[in-house]
Amino acid sequence: MPRSENDIAIVGFAQSPMLRRSENTEAEMMLPTVQGAIKMAGLEKEDIGFTVSGSCDYLSGRGFSFVANVDAYGAWPPINESHVEMDGAWAMYEAFIHLLLGHIDTALAAGVGKTSNSDPTTLYTIEMDPYYLTPLGADPWSLAALQYRALLDSGKATERDVAEVVARNLANAKGNINAQVSGDVSVDEILAQPYVRNPLRKADLPPVTDGCAAVVLARGKKAYDLCERPVWITGFDHRVEPHLPTLRSDLTVSESTRLAAEGAGAGNGPIDLAEIYAPFSFQELILRESLGLSDDTVVNASGGAQGANPVMVTGLLRVIAAAQAIMDGRANRALAHATSGPCLQQNLVCILEGDE
Amino acid sequence: MSSQPVAVVGIGQTHHKSKRRDVSITGLVREAAQRALEDANMDWGDIDAVVLGKAPDLFEGVMKPEMYLADALGANGKPMFRVHTAGSVGGSTGIVGSQLVESGRHKRVLSVAFEKQSEGNAQFALGGGKSGSIGAGGAFAPFIRAYIRRSGAPEDIGWKVAVKDRLNGAKNPYAHLKLADITIEKVKESPMMWDPLHFLESCPSSDGACAVVFTDEEGGKAASKPPAWVLATSMRSEPGWFAGRDAVDPQAAHDCSADIYKQVGITNPREQIDCAELYVPFSWYEPMWLEAHDIAAPGEGWKMTDSGATALDGDFPVNMSGGVLSSNPIGASGLLRFSEAALQVRGLAGDHQVGGAKLALAQAYGANAQFFAMWAVGSSLDPLG
Amino acid sequence: MTDTSYDMEPFHLQFPFTRSLGSTMSTFFSALAEGQIIGVRIGDRVVAPPMEYDPETGADAGSEWVKVGPKGTVGTWTWVPEPTRLHPVQEPFAFAFITLDGADTPILHAVKASEDQLAAGLRVEAQFKTGDDVNGRIDDIVFVPASDPSPSEGAGEAYTAPAEPEVQMMDAFCDLVYVDNFAPATREWAAALMQGRLFGRRCPKCDRMIIGANPMCSVDGIFLGDGAVVELEGTGVVSNFTVITPTPYPGQKETEPFVRCSIMIDGADAVIGQQEIVGVPASEVRVGMRVAIEWAPEGERNVDDLGNGNHGATAGAVRGWRPTGEPDEPAENYVERMM
Repeated sequence: MPRSENDIAIVGFAQSPMLRRSENTEAEMMLPTVQGAIKMAGLEKEDIGFTVSGSCDYLSGRGFSFVANVDAYGAWPPINESHVEMDGAWAMYEAFIHLLLGHIDTALAAGVGKTSNSDPTTLYTIEMDPYYLTPLGADPWSLAALQYRALLDSGKATERDVAEVVARNLANAKGNINAQVSGDVSVDEILAQPYVRNPLRKADLPPVTDGCAAVVLARGKKAYDLCERPVWITGFDHRVEPHLPTLRSDLTVSESTRLAAEGAGAGNGPIDLAEIYAPFSFQELILRESLGLSDDTVVNASGGAQGANPVMVTGLLRVIAAAQAIMDGRANRALAHATSGPCLQQNLVCILEGDE
Repeated sequence: MSSQPVAVVGIGQTHHKSKRRDVSITGLVREAAQRALEDANMDWGDIDAVVLGKAPDLFEGVMKPEMYLADALGANGKPMFRVHTAGSVGGSTGIVGSQLVESGRHKRVLSVAFEKQSEGNAQFALGGGKSGSIGAGGAFAPFIRAYIRRSGAPEDIGWKVAVKDRLNGAKNPYAHLKLADITIEKVKESPMMWDPLHFLESCPSSDGACAVVFTDEEGGKAASKPPAWVLATSMRSEPGWFAGRDAVDPQAAHDCSADIYKQVGITNPREQIDCAELYVPFSWYEPMWLEAHDIAAPGEGWKMTDSGATALDGDFPVNMSGGVLSSNPIGASGLLRFSEAALQVRGLAGDHQVGGAKLALAQAYGANAQFFAMWAVGSSLDPLG
Repeated sequence: MTDTSYDMEPFHLQFPFTRSLGSTMSTFFSALAEGQIIGVRIGDRVVAPPMEYDPETGADAGSEWVKVGPKGTVGTWTWVPEPTRLHPVQEPFAFAFITLDGADTPILHAVKASEDQLAAGLRVEAQFKTGDDVNGRIDDIVFVPASDPSPSEGAGEAYTAPAEPEVQMMDAFCDLVYVDNFAPATREWAAALMQGRLFGRRCPKCDRMIIGANPMCSVDGIFLGDGAVVELEGTGVVSNFTVITPTPYPGQKETEPFVRCSIMIDGADAVIGQQEIVGVPASEVRVGMRVAIEWAPEGERNVDDLGNGNHGATAGAVRGWRPTGEPDEPAENYVERMM
């Protein structure tokens, strides 16, 4: 397909080691990662037209935690820069919009998160409705388990189906050198695990991961100047739905995912490969359906969030995994998905294409 | 290129107070958003996407509240975006909303920024939840001392700004502080908080929200009330700390305004810009930003203040709304600056209107005086023409 | 693994937030405190607990209150075998969606029951806290299996709210625990402080020095390795300062005005920030004043309050900087150097 100056591509990316615990600060994880992405694009830091990152104060336990991360950019002379309190995939969305304006031709988006400092079952209670849910200590495991049971009760899936998702993702992660967790686990072994929140098992939970990722985007001809096989962003959308899971008419579908996929034009052609951010294993089944994926689509060849889940980064890692597959020639049209919220309240879909 | 004109057609804000005990967080943001929709003659269903901005989540103790507030802001089934760039966040929230229209992605976008400081404690949040927080005043006081010494400004400049902005705030029905009887004497005699800053030279702590509706050229021309046209937006950042960094006159501040002037074609800011809303949480920041944004020559900013040029009836009015010194719902403060600039060129600023304002500048800054967000708005797409 | 002797103590991020409820939630929580659960009619459905707005459209929900419960029916549920300290029930319990009689949308709440009782369709009823136990919050109730599965009396009837609902505010104590570790550069800084040493790192590209635990040059965006380390003198000049009048907040220990200084270290062309001054009252601190570091006695030194990525925090290792009594340096040579 001929490209225009309004077309935007991924031309470089990098990720830090994905660790159960990094002893480095967020800024220290970011510095080599950001530089790695810039270097892959054949650029210097001064060449970047716009820089934006995603991270979370409450994950760090400090207000304004992202301010120190600016040190990692070497932001001197001053740079055109922004920050979102969202996954790096949304930071990439802001960079994408900025490039669309036509004033600049390169941008960098990053995500960074140290998940290991805190306990997810207490921390994320304050992400919920502050009046109706936080005082109940409503934790993400419980909320996800409520969605999981709704899925079982709908008859759309069984616990065995979900265990198969876990086993496949962990096996896929073996081929991903960046994965933190991988291995051969049998479905029966998974089903023999006790419940942490019936019907949710430990194997259904994502790992606790510290990590960082960054991508470099370029617009129009600049993308070809920088990259032999640019990965074009041909669709990009994100949507949200009511925050209280009790107000959703059907928890076994992700309406915001469906709308985002539609907005991104996911159905305009076959999808060779999909990288889906399902923080809890069973959510992959809900997302597959809501994304409208066919059985021909390879899902989470990287192992997905089951392989590594640095919160605020995992969505951007999906984009990178999909982009890598296109650069490697394993796919020509791929879908990357990111989410926020324990019951998939907010979802982003990005369609990536190679030139062949 | 897909850059296309953007119009501000709706502006809403809450009545800012130290404690808005009559509303929930939900109610606070909806109050501003509903006023903006009403101003735009729109309903929730007319909006295509929502952008939310606020300062650290530690202020209210709600993590990533864009999820909890999504349906409260009518975003069900729509894109919801969350910005956080420290004190400049209100400005960034406006810029991101504007760019969603400028890029052609959406036709109508709602940007909302808020802070409900009374739920928590800003000094606590600024101190990382630990004892001995120096607060924003403690962080900026040394910069101010350095400016005073560098510029040779007399000590009453800060007091004059404090009085001028509060008198402007007294004309603004939404302002938190309405100190119509403030005097230089009162500012001077108020307690020393962060030497050299007196209590009355400092911003209050407010609950409040601000909302703006953006639309495209067609929507702007069809609007029932005069629109404000977004002529330029810009963000610049620099590191918060390095040996020899000039935090009094940051390079990022110069670069940010230079980018705005270039986009609009401004060659003489003082002459060509009709009025400005600058983020002045501590009185001395008025002359400091006049210089750092090249409106005044180095060392001359305080003379503009001293001469009355920045008063509502001066030749370069600054902070007609009363500014951050009169209302400071932190996350919303930047968007309030951007909104007031738009109100001025729409001719809808009421008792604090600058007569005939055609081109207005707004600015917000954050963290260690290192993040800058600015825009210029006009009564037409070519106010200099 | 690395030396763990400088790992941080768990940090308790605690704050007693207070939330104002607004009209809708004041009405709801006031009714709840009186033993009545209510919802609000939004379009053709009753939403309980009530929302201020229609979650589908954002339109105002209004105030057509409807009595719901106290009995209801379980939809989806999950079992919590080991409650967290934040859960409302401190023994194994269930979270469930409960559609209260008279309501069209469920409430998410805790159910005290045995795991084998839980199933979709289970009839449950609210137990209300009474007297001094009432908090005016959502945890004023908990659900238990209904002794009598028959429909709730009065459910679906209109509820008349008092003109001024009693419950207007809600306490929300936030209690989070973080377990961070010293980054490698912080460990080096901590070790130096414990030994009574100060050091900086000089950037090989821009020649600027940074003092403290930050291992990178923020101008060039590069790591400054061990080779960049320069040992520093414990003497310098006050280049700038603030006297802070402390405002009270939970966790604040300061009560009297205190000074924080920037100090230009002799021979280093670099500033250490946020330092305390000892030996003179706050009112006598001046730009240009010569000072020398006063270490805490070895046995009393600690780095308990040290954090990562700081610009020279000396925490519990240093008492402060004491004026040497030498003549002041010219203030104009220093005042610009806040950093």
